[in-house]
Order: sequence, then structure tokens, then C-alpha cells
Amino acid sequence: MTEWAVELKDVKKIYRTGPIEVPALRGVSLKVAPGEFLAIAGPSGSGKTTLLNVMGGLDRADAGEVLVEGRNLQSLSSGDLARLRLQRLGFVFQAYNLLPVLTALENAEFTLLLQGVPAAERKDKVQKLFTEIGLANLEHRRPGELSGGQQQRVAVARAMVTEPALILADEPTANLDSASAAALLEVMEALNRAHNTTILYTTHDPQVMERARRLIRLRDGQIASDVTRIG
Amino acid sequence: MGVLLLVTIGWRNLWRNPRGTLLTALASGLGLTLLLVSLGLLDGSHEQLVANAVRFGSGHVVIQAQGYQETGSLSQLVPVRVVSTVGEFLRSETLKHGLRGLSPRLLASGLLSSAANSSGVSMMGVMPKEERAVSLIPQRIVDGKYLGDDDQSGVVIGAELARKLDVKIGAKVVLMTQGVKSPDTEATDTGEGEMQSTLLRVTGIFRTGIQSIDAHIIHVPLPEAQALVGLPRQVTQVAVLLEREGDSLTVARNLREQLAGLPVEVLPWRESMPTVAQSLLLDEVFNYVMNGVVLAMVGLGILNTILMRVLERRYEFGLCAALGLRPVQLAVMIIGESLALTTISLALGLVLGLTAQHYFATAGLDLRWFFKSSLPTALVFDPIIYSRLSAARIASSVGIVFLTATGISVYPALKAARTELPGALKVF
Repeated sequence: MTEWAVELKDVKKIYRTGPIEVPALRGVSLKVAPGEFLAIAGPSGSGKTTLLNVMGGLDRADAGEVLVEGRNLQSLSSGDLARLRLQRLGFVFQAYNLLPVLTALENAEFTLLLQGVPAAERKDKVQKLFTEIGLANLEHRRPGELSGGQQQRVAVARAMVTEPALILADEPTANLDSASAAALLEVMEALNRAHNTTILYTTHDPQVMERARRLIRLRDGQIASDVTRIG
Repeated sequence: MGVLLLVTIGWRNLWRNPRGTLLTALASGLGLTLLLVSLGLLDGSHEQLVANAVRFGSGHVVIQAQGYQETGSLSQLVPVRVVSTVGEFLRSETLKHGLRGLSPRLLASGLLSSAANSSGVSMMGVMPKEERAVSLIPQRIVDGKYLGDDDQSGVVIGAELARKLDVKIGAKVVLMTQGVKSPDTEATDTGEGEMQSTLLRVTGIFRTGIQSIDAHIIHVPLPEAQALVGLPRQVTQVAVLLEREGDSLTVARNLREQLAGLPVEVLPWRESMPTVAQSLLLDEVFNYVMNGVVLAMVGLGILNTILMRVLERRYEFGLCAALGLRPVQLAVMIIGESLALTTISLALGLVLGLTAQHYFATAGLDLRWFFKSSLPTALVFDPIIYSRLSAARIASSVGIVFLTATGISVYPALKAARTELPGALKVF
């Protein structure tokens, strides 16, 4: 039996503001295999970010089941969810991904340190990744001294360095120019191939969608299409 | 556990806005400075006040007839053998190092008259040598000299009294007082209640700066005083001056045991001079209230700074939480930041506070600016206060400020720990 990296079964999520209810996800079912490079696309308000938040244990679904490596997130406590995020998930956000007071190296090793990995091992892992993604010699710069593209690459390195089951990236290229966006996607794709890490990212940029090997389109909180490309 | 990283983040966060951090640290540090200066001057003034009060008053410990404290009656006298018993006991091998002196005294009210004027006085019959070891009055002679052992008819008076009576050194004065029939002497020439008078010669004039003493207290040789009131070999009290004020209670307790069964009361200065003790207590309470206000200001300053920093960094905490940082670790990060700020504040406060303390301990705080004419008559203190701050006081002040700041940082820490996902990650 295949263990899916992520499996969603009829997931629903409704946001409530007083008497007003806004359905964000209306019964989404989805299976993602380990090693997939998958994009979730859709217009604003289609539920992309909500879907990522629910898969990453940042938010809870109102109905349905969310399973990461077979573990049902709905049954986990907040503490267990925090531990799961630390051990098995990686995140890249749209912007402001890094802690401004830490250097690139310290930001990238932040999660390893929380995992209790020894210093020498942390440094070794981060430096290998930095070399792999073109950040060598930038280890000691603070976020303010890095370009937007470099910052996002540090965030990707931080997400990758713990060797998670799944990386969730919410519009990682939204604040980058096209060259930086392309470079970032190349890095993500290369890491996906080299380490077989499952990467899901959201976007509404057609050029960024093109890079994914599987593209899911959302509309009004439902999957409108799910296309896997060959080759 | 990454506590070091969390503290590192907290520390570096402080320096994102160095000017703001330093200003807050300085404001909080000034709180500690104020606390140290205030406590130093309080302790110094109290130490001086007590030192002066016991030396102008009845010593650290006083032995007097049972009930004298309440009645103040001249007829209540200390049995003769008590004086020798007390002397022998206090000069024993174990106690003599803590003893500075003891002075038997006969106290009475009287009227002192010169050719020009008369004034009511408090007569103190003293043994000059013993009184020198206990009282400050012999050290405050501004004209003439203090009583000598052979001055049988000499009298030492205050400058105010000398001015009122218009007398100088060598002037003759007449002391009139009411005689008393001794309860444990047989025959005397003095009838009970009859007025007695004696001619004295002014040998010395003292000035303490304290109106009530300079205008009313006179010292006469004990034999002269005893003869005047008709109480040979009788005294009203034995004043004991110790090396350390802190030994007062122990010495008083030991003396009580030693004199058990005799009709005497042994009182430490807090009981023999209750107004002094009460004024000290009142002063301390007021000072503690003021220090509480200072502490509250320090606490609010730190709360304001840390809370603002927490509210500004909601996204950052959301990011940390998303990466797997648990609420308790977020709280540790904030408490670490607060502790770092407090440490800087304490360092600044200690440097400033101890510098100010050193100045006031050596140069003193001169109150003559505030009391240009004369010092208040109700209290006995020097016009220059020298700060005294023990290591325990410094440690407790630092500890109180540290605990206040740490306690106050709990609220911002809880606020950070309660960062809710995914709401905190919303940028726009």
C-alpha cells in the first residue's frame, strides 16, 4: 500500500466573521505522492493559501481528513502539530521569511537547532546546501544585506535542511522579479530531483505554473482541474 | 533545546533599535539609581539619627527604676547596688569589647537663675569621666571646658540657655529644685518636697544645634546634684553606650536576666526613646512607599518597551511558530529579551547609583540649605547626612528591580506565546 506524502479527504474550511460565513474549501480531496513537484494555482480567494495552511497544520479543517505521511492532523494537539511542522514539514512564505536579527547561516540552521542537531553537523548540512543553491560566501550576511531572491533561497535552504517529507511554499516568487523567480524555481526543482523532496507551491503566475510537473487549479474552494505532465 | 539561540535572538532584537533600547535601559537604570541613593541616605540618616539620639539621650540601653519610663518621677530611683552590678556585668570579659561606656545619672527639673534672667532646665547629675564616654555634649563645648572630676560646683549649660541668662564662662548661677526623700537612705537634711538651691559656676557652654537641648539641658557633677535633691549615692538611670547598635536588644535581654528580681526596668533605645523609634519607622514606611512608586515606574517602562516590541513582531512570532517553535519557547525568547534589557538597566543603574552613593558617603548631603535658621527641635540629627549602603541592601535592591522586571515580562511573553496561526502570518 502506497503511503502518500499528503492525502486530503473531503476537506472543508469555513471562515466565520460574526454571522457571516465564507467557505474557503468546499470538500477538497487530493493525494500527493512522495517526490512530486506540484503547483496549486487559482485566482485570489480560490483557497490556495487555506489549502496549504491546512496541509501544513497551520490551520485546522472544519471537516474531512488531512493526512501527512499517514498521520491524521485533525487528531493532533497543538504541541504535536508544532513538533510535526518542525520534524517533517518545511515552509517558504511569500515574504519576510527570515528572522532579521539572524545571519543567513543562522536562519537556515534555525530548525536544525530546534531539533537539537549538534553544531558541527548543522553547519556542515547548511554549507552543503548553500553551495548547492548558490549561496556560498553569503552565510554571515543578515537578511537586510541580501536581495529578495537570495532571501527566498535561504528560506528554501531552511525548509530543505531538515530533510522534511513535504515542503509547502506559498507564492514563493510573488515578490521577485522574473529572473529571480526563475532562478528560485530552478533551485527548488533541482532540490526536488536531487533529494526526492515533495514540494507543493501556490502561484497565480502562468510562467511559474509551467515549471510544475503536476498542476492543480482551484476555483471557489474546489479542485477545478488536476493535470500531471509527463516528462 | 536551543535556549541559547532564543536568548541570542532576544539580545540581538534589543539592538534593532539601539537608541530606544539604551533610553529604556537608562530610564530603568535611573530607577535603580534612585532606589540606591534613597536607601543609602535613609540608612545613613537613620544610623546617624540613632547614633546621635542615643548619645544625646539615654544610651543604647538604659537601666532605671521600674515604672520610671511611664511616670518620670524623681522619686523612682535605681537601688545603689544596681549601679555596681551593671558595671561589673558589662565589664566582664565576654561583654567588655562591645561596651563603649556607662554613665549613672540623676535627673531632675529645676530653675536656673542668673543676675539677668531665669529659665526652667532639665538637670542631669553626671560623673564627668563616665559621661564623656557616653554623651556627645562634652564634645560640643564651644566655650570653656566640660566638667572635671574636681569641679564640685561647676555647671555646663547650652548656648541658648547662656544667651537667655546672659551668662559667660565663670558666671555664677543659682539652681533651684525640689528635694526628695530617699526611700533607701536613712537620714537626710532635705525635707520631702521642699525647694533646695545651690550656687554653681558656669565652666562650659555647649552647642549641639538642637534647640531643645541647647536651651534646657544642664550638666552638674553627680555628688552636687545628689546633695541638692537629698539623694546621696542615688541615681535615676544608668545609660549604657555600646559599640554596635545592633547589640542593643541582646545586651538589654542579658541585663534583664542579670537584674531579675530587682525593681528595675532595662530598656533598649527603641523603648526608652519611642518617639525616635516611631519617627524612624514612619520615615521607613514613607520611603518604602516612594520606592514602590519608583519600582512601578521602572516596571511600566520595561513593560511598555517589551510589549511594543512584541506587538510589532507578530508576523515574526507567527513565522517562528510555523517553523515549529513551541509557545513556551516563544515565551522564553521574550523573557530572554526582557532579562537582557534588565541586565543592561541594572548595570547602568549600579554604575550611576554606586557613584552617587560614593559621593554622598564621602561628601554627604548638607541639609543646612533647607534649615537655614536652626534644625527642627523634635528630631536629633546632624545637618549633613552621609549615605550608608550595605552589600545586603545593594543586593536586595538589585534583586527587587530584577524580579519586578522579570515578573512584568511575563505578560508580553504570554502574549507572544499565544500567537495564533495562521492569523499572525497574514502580511496584507
